[in-house]
Amino acid sequence: MNVLLSVRAVEKSFGAVRALGPVDVDIRPRERLGLIGPNGSGKTTLINCITGLFPPDAGVIVFKGIDITHEPAYRRARRGLSRSFQIPRPFVGMTVLENLLVPMDYLGKGGGSEEIARADEVLASVGLIARRNDPSEALSQLELRKLELARALVAEPEVLVADEAMAGLSEGEIDDILSLLFRLNESGVAVVMIEHIMHAVMRFSERIICLETGKIIAAGTPSEVADNPLVQKVYFGEQNHR
Amino acid sequence: MLILDLGLNALVTGVVLGSIYALVALGLAITFGLLHIPNVAHPAMVIGGSYAVAISNSYGMDPLVAGVLWAIPFYALGVILYEFYSRSFESRGRGNTLQSLTLFFGISLIIEVGLVVAFGTDLRSIRAGYIGHSLTVGFIVMPYRFLIPAALAPVVIFLLWLYMTRTNTGLAIRAVAYEERALQICGLDPAAIKRHAFGIAMAMAALAGAALVITGPIDPFAGRAHIGRVFAVVVLAGMGTIPGTLVAAILIGVAESFVMTFLSPSWAPGVAFAILLATLGLRPNGLFGALR
Repeated sequence: MNVLLSVRAVEKSFGAVRALGPVDVDIRPRERLGLIGPNGSGKTTLINCITGLFPPDAGVIVFKGIDITHEPAYRRARRGLSRSFQIPRPFVGMTVLENLLVPMDYLGKGGGSEEIARADEVLASVGLIARRNDPSEALSQLELRKLELARALVAEPEVLVADEAMAGLSEGEIDDILSLLFRLNESGVAVVMIEHIMHAVMRFSERIICLETGKIIAAGTPSEVADNPLVQKVYFGEQNHR
Repeated sequence: MLILDLGLNALVTGVVLGSIYALVALGLAITFGLLHIPNVAHPAMVIGGSYAVAISNSYGMDPLVAGVLWAIPFYALGVILYEFYSRSFESRGRGNTLQSLTLFFGISLIIEVGLVVAFGTDLRSIRAGYIGHSLTVGFIVMPYRFLIPAALAPVVIFLLWLYMTRTNTGLAIRAVAYEERALQICGLDPAAIKRHAFGIAMAMAALAGAALVITGPIDPFAGRAHIGRVFAVVVLAGMGTIPGTLVAAILIGVAESFVMTFLSPSWAPGVAFAILLATLGLRPNGLFGALR
């Protein structure tokens, strides 16, 4: 099996609380992987360990055959491992275009008009080109999510982790983000979707992993995971009671 | 008529003084305004720049040229100092704390003591062709030793503003204090950006030092008179706004000048803080600060 990103026996604790692990996860090239689980199940901790925002306490993370376990987040991003945040973090006081230009020098994406052309290309791909000269503070929630994704795409990632990119959006806006993620995936990017909106994860993912109290309790196709009694108990069951 | 003349004179003097204050505050606008590092040693660093310029001047070098040349080693010193600060405080999650404030107080004292040991406590002045001459326009007489540093301020601020708004590294410096995690995910090393920014702030201290020593003689403790004022300028401008620094400094300079002319010079030091308190009451983000 061709593996792009391999997570082996990764663990993370905060004080006496074990937030994650040990877990094993493989991500294949061009894959659409859904990561689900109730609040506090360790999803965000896992992707923070993968993207380098938290150092894991134990385990190994290998990306494109290179051990990146101890690499800082910015080096992983340069290698092609990118993410968006649950709460959009635009660079305030800057325009939408400037938000994308910030990383250009460090990513070696050319200079001057070439980098602006590249930024415009990304903005067009996410549907923000008409807003390129507007301050990021003026964007709607949907546009902020798109800006997050656009900023991640500037680095031309091979793996994109979308952390609750649809939270708080309307059904129409969810469709908008979903079709954007589908297009990205079709262009060759492996997408890891962390989401509480189950119909969106089910529709998008080829494979789903379900976490509970920091451990993987189910993995498989959307229908396999949906039918798993453990998943129904900790996740769907919990939702059905609401 | 006399009141009008005095008022106009006070206005011109205030603008000139304010421009010089802006130069002195510019480095702090980066370290405190953008990086949120409480660098209370900045005025002492400026005085360090003044002494460095005075040394070069004793060999016949023009103080402004010396200021530009000294900006390079000062940049390197800034990079080293940030690295020390980062390893001691930020990387241990203790940035922007009372301990880090104490560090910069300590650095300020070390600079002052170092200057006393090396040069003594006597006033030190420089020589240049334009010092001792004045520009007279009508009844306004303005010495070149004030005019030239004042003219330097808008030039330096404009160039720094261009750098901060037209280059990707400048944009990254503006982003680093607020969105460090987002920068990392974009592939940028926040520590490298902050190192570079701190280096620029120290380079600004060398330029400001040149400006300050042109205006008049300095001693190792001359920076102390500026500590409160430069923080007032940065906060009044709105944290990290580079052009705002000039406007805020001129406001304070003009207000001080009017108080000195029409009330009493002894009241002047309180002016910066009075304006600061009034502004923060009405505009908590300063004059040009963005809402975050």
